[in-house]
Amino acid sequence: MRTSLTKAFGTMLLCGIMAVLLSSCTSGESANGKVQIEFFQNKPEAKATFDELIKTFNAEHSDIQVTQVNPPDAETVLKTRVVKNDVPDIMAMGATDTYSILAQSEIFADLTDSSLTKTIDPNYIQMLKDVTGMEEVTGIPYATNANGIMYNKTLFKEMGLDVPKTWDELIATAQKIKDAGKIPFYFTYKDDWQTNLPFNALGPNLVGIDFYLERRENKVTFKEKYREVAEKQLELMNYGHGDNFGKAYSDGNRAFANGEAFMYIQGTWAISEIRKANPNVDIGFFPFPTGNDPSQIKLVNGIDSLFTISADTPNREQAEEFIAFLLEPENIGKYIEEQTLFAAVEGVEQDDPAVQELTPYIEQGKVIDFADHYIPAAVQLNSIVQSFLQNKDIDNYLDTLDKEWDKVANRR
Amino acid sequence: MNKRMAPYYWMTVPAVVLFFVFMTLPALQGIYYSFTNYNGFGKSYDFVGFKNYFNLFQDDNVGNAYWFTFKFAIVVTILTNILSLLIALGLNAKIKFRNFFRGIYFLPNILSVLIVGYIFNYLFSNVFPIWGQNLGINALSTNILGSESLAWIGIVIVAVWQSVALNTILYLAGLQTIPTTLYEASNLDGAGKWREFWSITFPLIAPFFTINMVLAMKNSLMVFDQIVALTNGGPGRATQSISHLIYTGGFEGGEYAYQSANSVIYFIVIAVISILQIRFLQRREMDL
Repeated sequence: MRTSLTKAFGTMLLCGIMAVLLSSCTSGESANGKVQIEFFQNKPEAKATFDELIKTFNAEHSDIQVTQVNPPDAETVLKTRVVKNDVPDIMAMGATDTYSILAQSEIFADLTDSSLTKTIDPNYIQMLKDVTGMEEVTGIPYATNANGIMYNKTLFKEMGLDVPKTWDELIATAQKIKDAGKIPFYFTYKDDWQTNLPFNALGPNLVGIDFYLERRENKVTFKEKYREVAEKQLELMNYGHGDNFGKAYSDGNRAFANGEAFMYIQGTWAISEIRKANPNVDIGFFPFPTGNDPSQIKLVNGIDSLFTISADTPNREQAEEFIAFLLEPENIGKYIEEQTLFAAVEGVEQDDPAVQELTPYIEQGKVIDFADHYIPAAVQLNSIVQSFLQNKDIDNYLDTLDKEWDKVANRR
Repeated sequence: MNKRMAPYYWMTVPAVVLFFVFMTLPALQGIYYSFTNYNGFGKSYDFVGFKNYFNLFQDDNVGNAYWFTFKFAIVVTILTNILSLLIALGLNAKIKFRNFFRGIYFLPNILSVLIVGYIFNYLFSNVFPIWGQNLGINALSTNILGSESLAWIGIVIVAVWQSVALNTILYLAGLQTIPTTLYEASNLDGAGKWREFWSITFPLIAPFFTINMVLAMKNSLMVFDQIVALTNGGPGRATQSISHLIYTGGFEGGEYAYQSANSVIYFIVIAVISILQIRFLQRREMDL
């Protein structure tokens, strides 16, 4: 009696376990026969726009179902998923060090010969190759952003201020605003990634991007070349507000939208967020004047979003179909309009009045990439800069940059 | 005899299997990876022996994290235990609406740690500075989470606020095990409240004191959620706890094997501290 009961119980348990295991093994085919594509996207600002584009795509393609996944701190989540071998079908991210490492680890499909690259501006394809150091193309650049200085056109007009074209003019303008008792720059340095923005403009413009390629070979050091950058970073701190390290990115967007500050050192990615707080604010944008020769100033323009396909996905064809759909002029046009970014696809123009002052730089190719795309994530540049801006010790700062870079290089 | 015990052994098998697969095996894997230079997702890696451990001892970011975590853990453990004991004494006395207050004081424990952290983040950023400005306190007029020297105090406040809840309940349970006859007898002998506490209450709740101290110490050594919600390790690395360093360095920084070595050391440190604590406190229990 007892043995047969145990046997029955044992079989039930076994069946239960098998059922659980099998149901978790759905491989891209769901019950209704559609191919499931997971679209992993890293920008919270862009979620709504992509939701609409996905809805249109799903309606037009009855055999494919695309779902968007947009977690906070997406790059870290993506890395943890790669560790678990749970790579999403399509991944959208910026051309950052994360993209570079994952590309070198052969997580992405090789798209060098894909038809998807045909409409993309070759300058951006080259940017990808520089960041990864690889000859193969593993990402499709989609949208690019600009990092510069946003200003409130209404407030500038009220005070009779002109757009500064050189570093000295920038400081003079900030001084005038400060003397009038107003806030020149709204710093949001509670979020450590915000402290990088002046660094990302000053570094590449004053020292150049080749510095990083040489630093990788230990031919130069931060101590030798980055003193002017550090001094200028500190000088800007004189023109903030009372609580520079207490306010975060979301506070800054709100405050700038409500006219609390004249200028906002930020990227074009924030424009859509600012408009959510106040759709009527009159925004202007000028490139960061890092030196005193206006002809030498380049706009910091990096790849804000690129698409990659998992090397192991069973649904490669459908993934490429979705990306091709997103690259169509109508769809990419909608995206860059809603997100106030620039298109990597040739021929698609950005008409938003807020960024009109930047388009000449892009058209003439007077652009340069972000410095932090070349600095390994393990160096944790963000916390080093944030710490420096608080304790103001330039020698310690430059030494730390070199030390952390070397430490990480030794550990690789 | 053995045949009768067999079912009991079989009953433990599922739990042992689950524990082994989900806890022991990953820990062993972590120890294995700490001897390599695996970055977590690459297809190949090499053995590097003790290089990671060697680098750990030379990395001042690691030292900084351990120092911060110890400082934080000691302060939080002491504050939590003092406050929760006081509150438990209060909740044990014959006050009006006693059960209502017991519920209220337990509330922080059932709230999600991360959400509480984000709410306090907002308060520190937008509400407390206004209070500070109105009261004229300079240190409070800006967001203290943005100051390298004061940010840790903000995190201590939030951590204590939430941990007091559970510790209070444990102390309350302990206080209720003390027979009231003892208090009556001491009253007859003319003992004051203070004497009562030190001579009767505190010795008799010794086991609960042990549990609370060990739990509070372990939980505060492992602090992570509050760090992420309040300061994300900042400003700079002023509030980066060990678990936060392991997470950001290991995943965000792509240095999985290096931080695995850090986790092994972390595990040894917590185990040693907890064992020492239990030994010391249990011996004290027996002496009483």
